[in-house]
Amino acid sequence: MAASTGAASAAASDPTGPASAGLGLDGSTVQYSMILDHLIGDKRPIKDLSPGVMGGLPVPAKSDEQKMIERGMESCAFKSVLACVGGFVLGGAFGVFTAGIDTNVGFDPKDPMRTPTAREVLKDMGQRGMSYAKNFAIVGAMFSCTECIIESHRGKSDWKNAVYSGCVTGGAIGFRAGLKAGVLGCGGFAAFSAAIEYYLR
Amino acid sequence: MDPMKAQQLAAELEVEMMADMYNRMTNACHRKCVPPHYKEPELTKGESVCLDRCVAKYLDLHEKLGRKLTELSVQDEEMMRKAAVGSG
Repeated sequence: MAASTGAASAAASDPTGPASAGLGLDGSTVQYSMILDHLIGDKRPIKDLSPGVMGGLPVPAKSDEQKMIERGMESCAFKSVLACVGGFVLGGAFGVFTAGIDTNVGFDPKDPMRTPTAREVLKDMGQRGMSYAKNFAIVGAMFSCTECIIESHRGKSDWKNAVYSGCVTGGAIGFRAGLKAGVLGCGGFAAFSAAIEYYLR
Repeated sequence: MDPMKAQQLAAELEVEMMADMYNRMTNACHRKCVPPHYKEPELTKGESVCLDRCVAKYLDLHEKLGRKLTELSVQDEEMMRKAAVGSG
């Protein structure tokens, strides 16, 4: 009893320091440090932190497979594969279409006067469609991959991600033809991406 | 005060503390990571990455500060016990 009153008076005489001993409901002293140890210190119990326990809306726990699938679908690799396939299909369609309105399709350099056969024309259309498809696929995959990486790094999602990744993609494509072409490619593709982002947002 | 009582008291306080921490963390991370442009209902990749980092930092901070606080509390109690023993 003398110790507790001594501690209480010491606490009262030192109001600036944190009072780490006080009177509990049943009169015994409350040692805050021990409670803190069990609350936020090293002896706290290990709980699984689900929002239902902590005061949010209770959500059914996701299974491990579902988490893995969702993580895979959100990953940069999956997005770039998706863009690659989409670019391939779009490029193929675009190539076949431009081959359809091109007068030079099926042109035979050895005999320019002869009208080409249907098979030759179709083969030429297919080749052009395939080449456009491959180009579009590569560009789409690169753009999507760099945009995802830049967005993950920045932690924000706004229009600047598309502009930066457009610059990187255009620069990488143009760099093969020299530095100036790389810079031009960067600027051009970035401007194109900015326009598309402005339209989409 | 024996450790059992401390543990019981801590268990009672813990639910409230957890709820408070969860609310504060949700508010802080929402304010920092999710700008008020609601064009689509799902979290974008940038926002979910930001939220992961925010929650990890918050819990890390909570743990480190908790440990430091208990350390300081123990030191303070030692000091006061010595003062009480010295004066009593």
